[in-house]
Amino acid sequence: MINRICKVTAQIALVGAVLFLVGCHSDMTGVLNPKGIITYQERQLLFDAVALMLIVVIPVIIMSFAFIYRYHQSHSGRDYRPNWSHNVLLESIWWGVPCVIIVILGIMTWHMSHKLDPYRPIDGVEGEPLKVQVVALPWKWLFVYPEQDIATVNYLELPKGRQVAFELTSDNVPMSAFFVPQIGSQIYTMARMKTQLHLVATETGTFKGLNSQYNGDGFSDMHFPVKVVEPAELDEWFQKVKSESKPLSEDKYNLLRQPSIAAPAQYFSGVTPNLFKRVIKSYKLSEHPSKLAATA
Amino acid sequence: MLEHLLFGKLTLDDIPLNTPIIMGAGIFMALVVLATVAAITVSKKWGYIWHEWVTSIDHKKIGIMYMLLAGVMLLRGFSDAILMRSQQAIAAGGNMGYLPPEHYDQIFTAHGVIMIFFVAMPFMFGLMNMVLPLQIGARDVAYPYLNNFSFWMTFVGAMLCNVSLVIGKFAATGWLAYPPLSELQYSPGVGVDYYVWGLQIAGIGTLVGGINFIATIMKMRCPGMTLMKMPIFVWSVLCAMILVALAFPILTVTLALLELDRMMGMHFFTQFAGGNMMMYINLIWAWGHPEVYILVLPAFGIFSEVVATFSRKKLFGYKTMVYAIAVITVLSFIVWLHHFFTMGAGGDVNAFFGIATMIIAVPTGVKVFNWLFTMYRGNITLTTPMLWVTAFFTTFAIGGMTGVLMAIPPVDFQTHNSLFLIAHFHNVIIGGVLFGYFAGFIYWFPKAFGFKLDEKIGKWSFGFWVTGFYFAFMPLYVLGLAGVMRRTNHYADVALQPYFLVAAFGTALIFVGIMLQLLQLYVSFRNREQLRDKTGDPWNGRTLEWSIASPAPVYNFAFTPEVSTIDPFWEEKQNQQHTAKHPETTQYNDVHMPKNTSAGVIIAIFSGIFGFAMVWNMWPAAVIGFVGAIATVIVRTFNTDVDYYIKADEVKETEMAHYKEALS
Repeated sequence: MINRICKVTAQIALVGAVLFLVGCHSDMTGVLNPKGIITYQERQLLFDAVALMLIVVIPVIIMSFAFIYRYHQSHSGRDYRPNWSHNVLLESIWWGVPCVIIVILGIMTWHMSHKLDPYRPIDGVEGEPLKVQVVALPWKWLFVYPEQDIATVNYLELPKGRQVAFELTSDNVPMSAFFVPQIGSQIYTMARMKTQLHLVATETGTFKGLNSQYNGDGFSDMHFPVKVVEPAELDEWFQKVKSESKPLSEDKYNLLRQPSIAAPAQYFSGVTPNLFKRVIKSYKLSEHPSKLAATA
Repeated sequence: MLEHLLFGKLTLDDIPLNTPIIMGAGIFMALVVLATVAAITVSKKWGYIWHEWVTSIDHKKIGIMYMLLAGVMLLRGFSDAILMRSQQAIAAGGNMGYLPPEHYDQIFTAHGVIMIFFVAMPFMFGLMNMVLPLQIGARDVAYPYLNNFSFWMTFVGAMLCNVSLVIGKFAATGWLAYPPLSELQYSPGVGVDYYVWGLQIAGIGTLVGGINFIATIMKMRCPGMTLMKMPIFVWSVLCAMILVALAFPILTVTLALLELDRMMGMHFFTQFAGGNMMMYINLIWAWGHPEVYILVLPAFGIFSEVVATFSRKKLFGYKTMVYAIAVITVLSFIVWLHHFFTMGAGGDVNAFFGIATMIIAVPTGVKVFNWLFTMYRGNITLTTPMLWVTAFFTTFAIGGMTGVLMAIPPVDFQTHNSLFLIAHFHNVIIGGVLFGYFAGFIYWFPKAFGFKLDEKIGKWSFGFWVTGFYFAFMPLYVLGLAGVMRRTNHYADVALQPYFLVAAFGTALIFVGIMLQLLQLYVSFRNREQLRDKTGDPWNGRTLEWSIASPAPVYNFAFTPEVSTIDPFWEEKQNQQHTAKHPETTQYNDVHMPKNTSAGVIIAIFSGIFGFAMVWNMWPAAVIGFVGAIATVIVRTFNTDVDYYIKADEVKETEMAHYKEALS
């Protein structure tokens, strides 16, 4: 029986290891393959914490199998001590060692929680941040670039190496969450409230952006490509959108507020003024905001 | 008009006749119920079932009914799991799978609700009922009638959630029904109402049950059993029930506020008119986090009992264990915010709750070491309960590690709401809670039924369960790190599909494990004569429950025992001082017992009518249900014929029979 358990465990460990190695393959999306400063640091923290905890976890696993093997009925005998149930030294060790680990981990947590706070601009990145306003809509994402006066739906283009400061809210959809796993943290979007997020992408390419908070039928299709390009290229793209797209008028926005699933990417030039602020403000009224126009 | 008054919102359209999967499930359930009813009628067992079970206030029978409910609901919750796993295994690339979001969303909601509220909770209450009064040398719980009432409220709550399968819909909001998704604006149907009323009714049962057990433990311990001499399972239950008493009122109030929003147009949690959804999310987790400790603490208690018994050794560090449980109990109330680090609270708030969460790992880790060193220098027999414990160590260590990982806010910013989270909490709830309950179930089964479970099939089922668990959940860790979110209905990236296929394979293995458990029950029942536990002490036990016959006699103990140590029965056996005299020469007394009552089940049925009527706005029926429940409570208070005596002769006869059988 014990042999069988050991065998099964070994098999499981093997399968797990293989899966994990495959998982770390470079095609992998997500935190294991970071493309932004924040995700890179989060991955590092993940690895450090795992290493720290393995100090306790590995001995526990080894001891559990070793003790069962060693003190199984068929092996035990002379050193059987049925009434041995207390030892100050041993108990101090296993209160002490986890305490020390948690103190170290706690210090790391305190430090990194502040350093990687999504609201806080990322240290050591020069230049003015690019501002992007995000509105979660049913079931699509609206991105407004206020300084460029353009907007997109379900498509986000970001500069490499430049800080991006997001402001986020949601409209006419339950609480959602904005998340580009390979570039940075996730954060909730909530109607009537504004959340903030800072990211810096470190590599060019197209990455997956998504909604991580279940919010109804269209949830699984609420994702969008995030294209990271060189800053100069981004300026060209801004110009292109500006010259080729139609404006995001109030009526057009009210159409976007209507539920739709897997909406295609759309581009707008000229955004109705103060759209983001007014979306938030519309929920501060006592009446249900059936139309944004009511607040104008 | 009359129709509207009587049936409220309910019309024939609410019965999903055109959905074959649901109707199939509904018809299957109806057939099972009909078959059961027919079988009972044919064998003329209605009287037996009513008098011996439904109205019984015997804690042992109530425990068995709780476990039966948990078992049936496990099958329901697991079939939801099969549906979800197969959907995700199929729906890659352009394939949308076979479950449209509308159904899929109800399935994952039902899976969570059923597994937590109607599998884990009844399973826990079942085990507690079964053994706790025996462990403390009591005749019954403090309030036997309330105990019966608690069970039937839980049962009715479960049934209300299941009725939604066929009549109307269930919530499609996720198992905690976060607003604003669960508000009328986004969930206009009756699904959330079923959820609220089902949980409110079951919640009353749980709360009353919790208070009942606190009173039982505080007031009904046998002479000599001071708090620090209670079996460790009793300690773990005491702490869990204190959590029930403190946390469940929060759930009741939170769900009541949500229902006020929905029914009365109020704005506690709406997006507009000053409502705040984060208030709900804070409140629900202020209940929800203690809830996981409510589930896991009794499992810790079971592990402690099982490890000590099968290592034939005293539990290592009893005092440390007690302090660890107490520390966990207190800390469990100050960590709830770790469920939503991503709402955008600052570094101070997130770091505080993150570190508070990690601190819980210390007492939990200490418990694990204590268990390990209980085995150290022991004399271990690997029976099936012990096997579950061995699987627990590795599984729980991994689950605990990923839990601490997610307690680090910046790591949570990556893993929150992803399949990593799903893997983590199944890792601790299956690996910690369920493995523990299974161990306890097999361990105490002889005390409940008088015969042991078949060990061979038990070991096979264990093998399939544990292997299946690893196949089903380890891939989810990888998927979570790859940025795949929970509740995903379909995904574009076909590179992810192999992981989902492995997970589905794991689910199939668990399915075999569950089928083997059913087979084990059947085979053991058939061979009950060979597996008969004649002595009442099949495992060489340590605590009082093993000092009496199996199954325990209706009055539990002919004489109230007196104890002076933590392992009274073990010490007695070691010192060979059998205090119990030969029953032939013993002078027995009449035993004072509470009488059965039908009040509990009647109140619960009225509550069920009330709940169903509230879901559908059937006002006359709601009034009948509410008034009926209150009236039954009042009528019952006038009933003074609530007790009886078991005659000394009958006690003597029972004890004699056990004595003779034990010697044979």
